[in-house]
Amino acid sequence: MKIEVLFPEICNLYGDLFNVKYLKECLPDAQIINTSLTDEPYFAKEKPDLIYMGTTTERGQILAVEALAKYAERIRECIEEGVNFFVTGNALEIFCTSIEEEGKEVCKGLGLLDFVAKRKARKRFNSLYLGEFKASDEDIIKIVGFKSLFGYAYGDNTDKKLFETLRGDGINPDEKAEGMRINNFFATYLTGPVFVLNPPFTKWFIRKVLGAEDAALAYEDAAMDAYRARVEEFSDTNTGIYY
Amino acid sequence: MKKIRFLIALWAAKLSTLALRITRHNGTNFPGVVALKICPDFLYLVNKPKKIIGVTGTNGKTTVCNLAIDMFKAAGENVLNNSLGSNINSGISTSLINGVNLFGRCRYETALIEIDERSAPLVFGALKPDLLLINNLTRDSIMRNGHPEYIARILTEEMPDSTKLLINGDDLIASGVAPSNERKYFGIEKMDTDVEKCINLINDMQICPKCSSKLKYDNIRYHHIGKAHCPSCGFKSPECDYSAGSVDLENMTVNIKDGGEGHTYRLLNDSVFNIYNVVAVVSLFRELGYSREKVEELLEKTEIVKSRFSEKKVGKYTIVRQMSKDKNALGASRAFDYVSGRPGVKELILMMNCLGDVKHWSENVCWLYDADFEFLNKDDIVNIIVTGPRAKDYYLRLMFAGVPDEKITFVEKETDAPKSLKLCDEESIYLFYGTDSIALANSVAANVEKVIEERGMAL
Repeated sequence: MKIEVLFPEICNLYGDLFNVKYLKECLPDAQIINTSLTDEPYFAKEKPDLIYMGTTTERGQILAVEALAKYAERIRECIEEGVNFFVTGNALEIFCTSIEEEGKEVCKGLGLLDFVAKRKARKRFNSLYLGEFKASDEDIIKIVGFKSLFGYAYGDNTDKKLFETLRGDGINPDEKAEGMRINNFFATYLTGPVFVLNPPFTKWFIRKVLGAEDAALAYEDAAMDAYRARVEEFSDTNTGIYY
Repeated sequence: MKKIRFLIALWAAKLSTLALRITRHNGTNFPGVVALKICPDFLYLVNKPKKIIGVTGTNGKTTVCNLAIDMFKAAGENVLNNSLGSNINSGISTSLINGVNLFGRCRYETALIEIDERSAPLVFGALKPDLLLINNLTRDSIMRNGHPEYIARILTEEMPDSTKLLINGDDLIASGVAPSNERKYFGIEKMDTDVEKCINLINDMQICPKCSSKLKYDNIRYHHIGKAHCPSCGFKSPECDYSAGSVDLENMTVNIKDGGEGHTYRLLNDSVFNIYNVVAVVSLFRELGYSREKVEELLEKTEIVKSRFSEKKVGKYTIVRQMSKDKNALGASRAFDYVSGRPGVKELILMMNCLGDVKHWSENVCWLYDADFEFLNKDDIVNIIVTGPRAKDYYLRLMFAGVPDEKITFVEKETDAPKSLKLCDEESIYLFYGTDSIALANSVAANVEKVIEERGMAL
């Protein structure tokens, strides 16, 4: 199994790279391909089993867009063909049509998601997150996590949402639908080690998306212990959701 | 009208100071809050000392300020400072209120103000520091500070043109702040412990700030601290005006060269972080015109505040209280690295939980995955007790770090943690606590002593 990590030298904030580390711990034979800004991406000519991209700085977003612009059509093709993507935090915005700051366009995005990312220069949007992922009609998985962002995405994601929000914001404060899913392109505004914090979702992802049906979760007991406590904490309406 | 409003704000704040004193409350922020509520321009209007020295940055600014205050005191200079208050606009206002009389006349010639880097938009314009020391810019609270590039941008946008900068030249993020301002740099020359490739999880300066090519580090101390150059465009770390070398940890001295002449100064602690704090404060006093000999003499009269690091010997055991700012991955990594490198058998109690968050929401634990818990996976660390609200998260993180399950002990309540100590022969017990758990850490430390005594090991 080949997992391509896009631009780890800049897309590495808030512990996001532990998403890949956790997959590697669960799938010891997986090969991690770290693609730098100046490299030709592995996906340009091949089909990795997963492409991962994590949170970056505002400058990092621009650099990532610049580096990926010439591969935008190839990425669209990959998404249509069902190549697996997992994108966390503001890396999601790189795939939008544009990124604005205080109403002014900072840069064009890759134009693969019909959303406009709008951010504030001096405001952090911080919150806890509790939501649900519908693995199947019978299998609804609780999702917990954290958002720490400069802005949100605007557009209609009702038919391509990744998670349904129970507490917290969706892709923007007026929206309960969180993240985006198009075929096997999974993108969420949740920051940090989403896989580590959500072992049931990770197990589903590894088995059903990556196809490693027999893979076991690393540190499953400890991860589940922390997860159950967090679900309980975040479900408690006495726990404030916004920082 | 403005003047009247200012005077009302000043008197109300002075009155609140008196009331707090009579009722024996601390409220170091409160008078400033009152003043700013009545007169939002208070910080602009209040009379200030003629010379204002600011200290900002992510880590070490309180230590640098405390050292500088001790040195000013030793030099017989009465300097206005905010060591007893907070470093945000209200705390700084409180200090300035204390510095003026009822008519608003300032009683000080010089102020040394610690400035929270995130508060620059509310403070810089009003304060216009003559000299601003930037110790470093690294990751801090994810919620508040985002990332260091963001903080550098804020500092640059808010920096008064007239402010002269004194910057850690080994920090390429800090070095890039306000490029058009006059500046000097301090730093530490290559050390034996430096490496060529970063071993930390965090390195926020991997690409050239000019051309975005990969940077080549000539030597890296930790994270992005070190010397680097860009093979593509020729960009490189600045030359330091105050350059420390010959670090002698046996005799606890460092030689700092400026103007082509070196001088030996005393070190206060053997951690690299604290060596930087000494280099910073020496550079500051040299910039202020003190002779090398005088700076050496003044530095002899300082010590690191005990609330941040302290050691106590109880029988064969050493109890070490090591502050590790909560939600600050880089601060934790530095503390872990330092402690893991100290000799002898160790047991650790991890309790850096953010107690403030517990009251209102839940701590964002992403920082644990930026922090180098891997340093704690060492043979001479025989037991790690995880405790408090985020104990389960520490437990999981330690497993990722490769710490064997049998070395991790989960204890729900912090004050019960000492009961799970193994107490091997002549070991050290380290308490890692955050900025809002100092009092709790004191209770836990007392319980460690009690356990040592109860087990008859105090002698």
